[in-house]
Amino acid sequence: MKNKGVGKKKSKRNMNLLTPYVMVTPAMCFLIIFTLYPMINLIYLSFFTFKLARPDLKTWVGLLNYKFLLFVKEDFVIALKNTAVYTVAVVFFLILFAVLFAMWLEKDTKLNSFAQRAIFTPHLVAMISCGMIWSWIMDEKGLFNAVLSFFQLPGLRWLNSSATAMISIVIVSVWKSLGYYTLIVISALKSIPTEIFEAAELDNTNGFRKFFKITIPMLSPQLFFLLIVITINSFKVFDTVRTMTGGGPGNSTNVISYYIYHYVFNNNQMGIATSAGVVLMGILMIMTIFYFKAVGKKVYYQ
Amino acid sequence: MGDIVFKGINKSFGNTKVIEDLNLTIKDGEFTVLVGASGCGKTTLLRMIAGIGPATSGELLINGENITDIPPGKRDIAMVFQNYAIYPTMSVRGNIEFGLKNNKVPKKERNRLIAEISEIVGLTPYLDRKPSALSGGQRQRVALARAMVKKPSVFLMDEPLSNLDAKLRVAMRSELIELHNQLKTTFVYVTHDQVEAMSMADTIILMDHGKIQQHASPEIIYNDPNNIFTAQFIGTPPMNIIPLNEGIKLGFRPEKIKLSREITNSKFQRKCHLITREMLGSETLYKAILENETIMIKSLEAEFRMGEDVYISIEDTDLYFFAADGNRIRKGDVPDYNKLLKMVGGSWNEE
Amino acid sequence: MAMNLIKTKKRIMRAIPAFLNSIIKLAVVLFILFPFYWMIITSFKPYAETILMPPTFWPKTFTLSAYTSIFNEMNLGIYLKNSIIITLAIIALQIPIMVPAAYAFAKYKFPGHKLMFGIVLVAFMIPGQVTFIPVYFLMARLGILNTLLPQILPFGANAFGIFLLRQNFMQIPDEIIEAARLDNASELKIMFRLMLPMSKATMITLAMFSFISHWNSYFWPLVMTQSEKVRPLTIAIEKLKDVELGISWNILMAGNVLLVFPIIIIFMFASKKIVRAFAYKGMK
Repeated sequence: MKNKGVGKKKSKRNMNLLTPYVMVTPAMCFLIIFTLYPMINLIYLSFFTFKLARPDLKTWVGLLNYKFLLFVKEDFVIALKNTAVYTVAVVFFLILFAVLFAMWLEKDTKLNSFAQRAIFTPHLVAMISCGMIWSWIMDEKGLFNAVLSFFQLPGLRWLNSSATAMISIVIVSVWKSLGYYTLIVISALKSIPTEIFEAAELDNTNGFRKFFKITIPMLSPQLFFLLIVITINSFKVFDTVRTMTGGGPGNSTNVISYYIYHYVFNNNQMGIATSAGVVLMGILMIMTIFYFKAVGKKVYYQ
Repeated sequence: MGDIVFKGINKSFGNTKVIEDLNLTIKDGEFTVLVGASGCGKTTLLRMIAGIGPATSGELLINGENITDIPPGKRDIAMVFQNYAIYPTMSVRGNIEFGLKNNKVPKKERNRLIAEISEIVGLTPYLDRKPSALSGGQRQRVALARAMVKKPSVFLMDEPLSNLDAKLRVAMRSELIELHNQLKTTFVYVTHDQVEAMSMADTIILMDHGKIQQHASPEIIYNDPNNIFTAQFIGTPPMNIIPLNEGIKLGFRPEKIKLSREITNSKFQRKCHLITREMLGSETLYKAILENETIMIKSLEAEFRMGEDVYISIEDTDLYFFAADGNRIRKGDVPDYNKLLKMVGGSWNEE
Repeated sequence: MAMNLIKTKKRIMRAIPAFLNSIIKLAVVLFILFPFYWMIITSFKPYAETILMPPTFWPKTFTLSAYTSIFNEMNLGIYLKNSIIITLAIIALQIPIMVPAAYAFAKYKFPGHKLMFGIVLVAFMIPGQVTFIPVYFLMARLGILNTLLPQILPFGANAFGIFLLRQNFMQIPDEIIEAARLDNASELKIMFRLMLPMSKATMITLAMFSFISHWNSYFWPLVMTQSEKVRPLTIAIEKLKDVELGISWNILMAGNVLLVFPIIIIFMFASKKIVRAFAYKGMK
């Protein structure tokens, strides 16, 4: 009887030790199968050329795909540049407007509560729908130009001009996500103890110094988070490009994700597509490391 | 800098009125303590002086000047918050410097002031540390230094010692008193701790539910309370209050009771039954039943035991009478004060 | 008397900027909401009116013709069914997979947890554009390309969701769990009877975000499917744009209204909960 008791305790303890592993394993399996494995497989595939329908008929080409991609073809470098421009613009404007709107809408009033919910709603709409709606608004015969002509200004070509197409895409992205990030910043603002601001008032602090020396440093963890998340999401932009510009006009809105898609489904050049995917992966990793090393130090953790 | 005067002050939060028609003068240069239970309005008044929680209506004057429209930063006032409110993202030096920088004090002067202040509060080795790397006591000193370096005309303190451990609290208490003696500026100090209030104040303002219960020196508040609330707020254990008749109540402090096993000559004498005994070292606390009322006795005599019947006697001058509304009945308030004394006075031997 | 007049004047002077502020705020908010409004009224206009210049801000002719076109010409039923099944299946899959994992990361310090959490972090960074090609081939090898599974399985574990849940679980005090252990409760019981009920709000938020994100998903269904039988609503709506003659904006907008409709319904019922849930989201 005694041994049974001890045995039971021992096996319960072993059970308890195993428990976290049991809990984590399903998620780990999914992540490994659907994220880690594809990453490695993609690198492997990028050393071959083949067609979409017959992945078994692949030919080894080593680093040739990369050579083509980066040095021979021009369109990939353009796509890289476009992605960079898009990312910088979206990150900058989103964080700027999220912070400004958060400060504007922070106080607990009925109007602010309505406003917060209202600007959040674009987040609920499919990106593809946003793309279609704004295509309509930015159409040469659409609303924006109608308003401009009302003020007797010439209409712009918006999506049909390589100069303005990128701006249009940026506008849609900022419009869609502004509310979401504003809410995040608002909750961060609310977590700053009011006494800190009261102490600042007693210290005769003017508005600007309050903002730059107190508000922003205290928001820095959330802003850092925003920086990372917005950057990663920017590399994913696809829906708007597909439905509004198709990468054009003339490659001006060709971004990496669209480039990859194009080379898989339109050109059927898998070698190019996979190597482009690997480059995208590499950029994302480098960016994250860069963020943590360079910016992460400045973040104040409580 | 002049007295701080509240005139006809009202304060409401939403629809709740917390302070109504309050008038108060805080004397220049004194160490004034606003004391009372949570929610009594003491912090509200403090914040009004600071300018961070303005009154709903009424006037606030400093040195005769209405300061209602002057922003907090320009009132020449410094405040130490209960939770210190030091800037977490700046170093100790940064915290102390911040207000000076805002007031455009030149760098040389700033450095001199910071060095001076950090010597006084003992923070010199910590100047470059961030608040998260400091202990509670050190953070409190940063808050204090930040206030002191501005050399204000009024120091406001909102329960600055309540987050410290007991030993540190006692040490800081005397340091603050010394500071006040040195600087001789107006100190307005908020606390819920009556011991702190009694030990530190030149003047105490005792508040309850937005009303001032008594505004006097510690001695007067202790010896001459205005009402039952005041009488029972100050003193540990609080004053014993027992009903007499016609709504009048009798009060006497536990420490003013003399105990004896035999009847003595004292005028006020009663027999009571001891039910508990707590030996505190230099004093002993007894709980006793006196004519169906429970009273506390604080005595220097430790010899009495639980279950004993003893005689208590109190001097005339240590007896306090209170009317049915809680207010104190003093000698000059009634034509025949002796009648009250007669109600309780005389010694009687029968039980 | 004069004092009162001056006081009132001061009060009015102080209130004017606040009033202007409110007006501007309202204007900006309406401006941001405008594209929705535009989408909705366009869907109720006849085609001829949609291309009018200057455009009309209220339908001159109110018609349901766009909607009837869609219902008649498109086989909405299949697409709608697919969207619903995919979205609900993903949520059903995520809960048993992600909740225990997040709980384990929050409350246990088991050997290897740093490495595993590192994997979660890496997964967070890698978008579908990187993973879709190998996953596509994997699905082909498994022979399930013509089912809904390629749109469901890959999302069983979502890095962002694991973060969120972990954050939420970490805020539950350890003492409660230790008390339960002392009461001889098994770990599983602790999780189901204790943690889950306390995390209801976060789980609902998670389910909602998952729903919204996958209902609106376009890229992944596009690259994972070729047969119309397994495609969701987003693909169908986008197809409305592939017309040889000029785009029928009214029909296009009607499709988008249908696409966003379920989301709006859910949001209206739960908007307070979502906004409150953001209180957790300050990542530290």
